Amino acid sequence: MRQIHEFHVDSTRYLDDHGKPPGELPPQAGNTIRVLAAYRNMVLTRTFDSKAIALQRTGKCGTYPSVLGHEVVGTAIGQGMAKSDVFVPYYRDQAAHLLRGVSLTELLLYWGGDERGSAWQNCPEDLPISVPIATQCCHAVGVAAAMKIRDENRAVVCCIGDGGTSKGDFLESINLAGAWHLPVVFVVINNQWAISTPRSLQSGAETIAQKAISAGLPGHIVDGNDYFATVEALDTALDRAHGGKGATVIEAVTYRLGDHTTADDATRYRTAEDLKRAWEKDGIKRLQNWLHDNGHWSPDKEKSLQAECKQTVERAVEKYLAMEAEPPTAMLDYLFETLPAALQPQREQIASKYRGGDL
Amino acid sequence: MSRAKRSIETRDVTLVEAVNMALHRAMADDANVVVLGEDIATNGGVFRATVGLKEAFGFKRVMDTPLAENLIAGTAIGMATQGLRPVAEFQFMGFIYAGMEQIVSHAARMRNRTRGRLHCPLVFRAPFGGGIHAPEHHSESTEALFAHIPGLRVVIPSSPQRAYGLLLAAIRNPDPVIFLEPKRIYRAVTQSVEDNGEALPLDTCFTLREGDDVTLITWGACVQETLQAADKLAEQGVSCEVIDVATVSPLDRETLLCSVAKTGRAVIVHEACRNGGVGAEVAASIAEGAFLDLQAPVVRVTGYDTIMPYYRNEQYYLPQVEDIVKAVEQVIAL
Amino acid sequence: MKNFKLPDLGEGLPEAEIVEWHIKVGDTVDVDQVLVSVETAKAIVEVPSPQAGTIAKLYGEPGDIIHTGEPLLAFEGEGDDTGTVVGELKSSGKGDGNGAQQDQFIVGAAPSSKRARANRATPGVRALAERLGVGLETIKGSGPGGLITTDDVHKQASHQKQLGDAEPLRGTRRTMAKNMALSHAQVVPVSIFEDVDIGDWKKGTDITMRLVQAIGKACQVVPELNCWFDGDNLSRQLLNEVHVGIAVDTPEGLFVPVLRDITHRSQKDLRQGLENLREAVATRKIPPKEMQGATITLSNFGTMTGQYANPIVSPPQVAIVGAGRIRDKVVPYNGTATIRRILPLSLTFDHRAATGGEASRFLGAMVQALNNAS
Repeated sequence: MRQIHEFHVDSTRYLDDHGKPPGELPPQAGNTIRVLAAYRNMVLTRTFDSKAIALQRTGKCGTYPSVLGHEVVGTAIGQGMAKSDVFVPYYRDQAAHLLRGVSLTELLLYWGGDERGSAWQNCPEDLPISVPIATQCCHAVGVAAAMKIRDENRAVVCCIGDGGTSKGDFLESINLAGAWHLPVVFVVINNQWAISTPRSLQSGAETIAQKAISAGLPGHIVDGNDYFATVEALDTALDRAHGGKGATVIEAVTYRLGDHTTADDATRYRTAEDLKRAWEKDGIKRLQNWLHDNGHWSPDKEKSLQAECKQTVERAVEKYLAMEAEPPTAMLDYLFETLPAALQPQREQIASKYRGGDL
Repeated sequence: MSRAKRSIETRDVTLVEAVNMALHRAMADDANVVVLGEDIATNGGVFRATVGLKEAFGFKRVMDTPLAENLIAGTAIGMATQGLRPVAEFQFMGFIYAGMEQIVSHAARMRNRTRGRLHCPLVFRAPFGGGIHAPEHHSESTEALFAHIPGLRVVIPSSPQRAYGLLLAAIRNPDPVIFLEPKRIYRAVTQSVEDNGEALPLDTCFTLREGDDVTLITWGACVQETLQAADKLAEQGVSCEVIDVATVSPLDRETLLCSVAKTGRAVIVHEACRNGGVGAEVAASIAEGAFLDLQAPVVRVTGYDTIMPYYRNEQYYLPQVEDIVKAVEQVIAL
Repeated sequence: MKNFKLPDLGEGLPEAEIVEWHIKVGDTVDVDQVLVSVETAKAIVEVPSPQAGTIAKLYGEPGDIIHTGEPLLAFEGEGDDTGTVVGELKSSGKGDGNGAQQDQFIVGAAPSSKRARANRATPGVRALAERLGVGLETIKGSGPGGLITTDDVHKQASHQKQLGDAEPLRGTRRTMAKNMALSHAQVVPVSIFEDVDIGDWKKGTDITMRLVQAIGKACQVVPELNCWFDGDNLSRQLLNEVHVGIAVDTPEGLFVPVLRDITHRSQKDLRQGLENLREAVATRKIPPKEMQGATITLSNFGTMTGQYANPIVSPPQVAIVGAGRIRDKVVPYNGTATIRRILPLSLTFDHRAATGGEASRFLGAMVQALNNAS
């Protein structure tokens, strides 16, 4: 027997649980403006998240999936991507969406039962939130293939959870990304839970990153609560993609600090101790500590940031609540570019039920 | 690429050759048209529908994919959101089901769920239907599955000319089209077709033969048996109007209702099994819209509600000319 | 069978009505033999055979309207018979030397089916209509989806009782009705009137030619009225050449053949041209293209009765001149009341395309041109 190939999977972490760097930081840590912008986005995301849950609890929003615990990796994605790149999200990517240009009002509209919540004005090429698990991976390679066919220097970032990597869509897509050498970065946000199913039951593989190896791609693990580790991984993978060097899989390890959605009760399947331990690794607190330790932050600054974020969210909520629902005929108006004659009678029927048929 | 590059010529072609001709024309006309699927590039497709495309347009636009139908569907959707016009081939309709989630949950919904921000101008081609002595999983007709899905068009050509004109229309259409090719008649008929780039309209039936006594409504390969039945019936003095539905969803009810208003009788012929088939929708539409014109119950001649038998018995499953003649005699008697 | 489809007989004419078949099923015809006379928007056209062969089927009866591109008749010939299917991917056997046929089909419903669909009624209503002697095809249904109701039948019956049977408009009269309604819906018409003293004209002066030439003069003075106007895009095209449409009244309805480029032709030439057009109209053999492309119209109703009118502007044109009946009138002439010959003129113009001042100057220029003895 002889060894044909040897594979390895790296893992990166720069900050400990308290935000102290045991070793040298990557160059990204020197860009204070970018780091402060990242911190602001994380705080805004978390402020929005708690407000969205409150809206759901008071009957003003539909079922909503909390992004608690994903703020760091989402922010790194949003910062790593160029404006001309295309983001292919799953459904817990609020932090990344905000940096891409999706408005808070649009996010509320989407979860508040209004299709206009995906008609994003500021990032018209990003794909909409994908609910069917892992299906978005196939779209990501399609978008990347389109870029390659047209010789464009652009890349795709595709998000997926740890549960999603059990689906064929993920495996088929990383396989194609390897075979066709596509400019795409898969970010697996391993938050340890697929609703109630723990990571250990998803796969017997020691890591998710190693699935990349089967597709001929590099797979890296990063501490998903460590801003410097995640943003460095994203910058590196996107450089590779833009440089024509192909695809990367990043496994960002974090923890889902909230319920799966507002319709879920995580206390049914996980212990309070588990959750407490996870909170001790919270990435936002970690980055705040680091900013403090390096003289970039103060309690006053924190207070005014919190107030600003709260105000931004309140304004978005007001706008969302003030928006009237679309006329119900909209359910047919966007089905095809032009409504086929066969469907016209159904449209008239819908219109007749609405405000005396005046549509 | 300009339109002028491909010359206009008239050729005698079979249905599968007309598909090939339309693909060549569409790719020459529009650089956004790309073709992908299993064995479609170097091999030219297992039925040769894509032969010559790789040589004419290169690997970049004519792509052999890994063997994963779900991936083919999803990749085409991703490409389409970026303004490409992918034409993806499923090698047989029996293998399209792996791509169902992508087709139903994404291709059909992209325009609606983004309120027109993104859309899917793509075509999913698949040979379908029985009668070629193929192994199992290669002979089914499940167009009704797709006809049931809002946001999809389901188009079935039944002659070389309609294959050419309808495929061009499908590719140029800004929304997803499931284009099902009746492989039993892939090479059964040769017609003179002008490669002029002219599309035929979607969402409309085609009246193949005018008649007064009964309307025969069909699509796909069954158009052949239905025309033969109409010939036989003509010898008996029964004048049949023959309608090729062509776009089975959305259904051109108006043409069907007009014809039934004239004849007062309808016989629906399709190869797919009966239960929940497109024929049921046709029959219901006639009941709702032409009840007053009917002189006899609407009758269906279809495949049976069972698994498509392996090929030794497939001719007992497929509607035969005699079955159609019998059904017409039954409604004419009333 | 091989269908012969109705070709486009004019510039994009959408339909034609069958007037008379010159052949019947079973006849053998030669290439170019006249098959049928059809009436298009403004003329009767004879359609020749594209091939030699035997007639297998006629797709309509006199009075039926056939749309361009739909089958008109069929020749006998090889069908697409492919035999039975026994299981293998059947080949058409291209090498058999038979030559491939072109596909034949109608997009959507056949004309005969559309006609059938137009008369939707319950069996009870049909029976009632038959009893009252009312044709369902004469009724536009007021029920849901155009369904003909008992009320509709009763109304039509009492209508028929009072007024007799209604006759559906066909051909030129039908086109006139459509075009006039269209014009009325679009154009913003303003009319002005003036009398022209033609007492100095020589005996035997060709009135129509004088009018045509006066229009030509006026168009040179005020080109804004020799113009095509596009109300949808709010654009206009001032034209160099003047093509005058001459309204011709016939028992079948209004014809407007076009006298071309009148400012560059002699009066004699124009008169001959007009005679040719009138002859073509009288025998109903005028080709559609001879009635297209007018830039302004003259309606000379003075040969009949009437002084002034507000004739209807036909878009894209923007003006129409009406000439009334010439009469002797007592008018001031050189300071005394004198009997003079007076030609009453009307000018209607589309106020979307031209101003009142332009129209007034145009009429003035016409009056001036007509005042001269020759």
